[in-house]
Amino acid sequence: MKHIFILLLLAVAMLAAWLGSVGFVRLRAPADRLHCVTFVNAVCGAVILLATLLQDGATDRVGKILLIWLLMLISGALVSHATLRAMKWRAQAR
Amino acid sequence: MNAWGVAAMGFTAALALPVSFAAFRGTLERFLALQLAASLATLVLVLLSFAFDQPSFIDLPLCAALLNLPAGLLIALVLERWL
Repeated sequence: MKHIFILLLLAVAMLAAWLGSVGFVRLRAPADRLHCVTFVNAVCGAVILLATLLQDGATDRVGKILLIWLLMLISGALVSHATLRAMKWRAQAR
Repeated sequence: MNAWGVAAMGFTAALALPVSFAAFRGTLERFLALQLAASLATLVLVLLSFAFDQPSFIDLPLCAALLNLPAGLLIALVLERWL
């Protein structure tokens, strides 16, 4: 049963990654494309964290994966803000 | 190959799509594709740690996630001021 849940979670993570990638190609404005990056960071990270928790239990490795996910969320937000700021300044300069 | 390895391969293929798309676009699109690729590559390294059953491999995505923040901020700063 646990193995099936892990397989399902990995499939959901892969689907979310493909959704983010296709969305990146399909969306037109650069500001819209930032949503795909945030989506991949939030959804794929959370689903992979759940899958690893099911596989390993509460181990050091899963703790590090939780840390990685939190880092991805925080740094994604900061870099998205900096990117939009850079876009705004470049648009004003032209 | 186990399910983790298959997932890592799927993530790598998903990574190739935005990168190849942005290669023929402007600077901002390339930077956005870099952000997406960095996130996906970090997750691929996590998956590979389970695919090869090597707990010590988990330090690689941790370093990648740590280094993504200053790298992204620096490139955004360069884009804002000089490019």
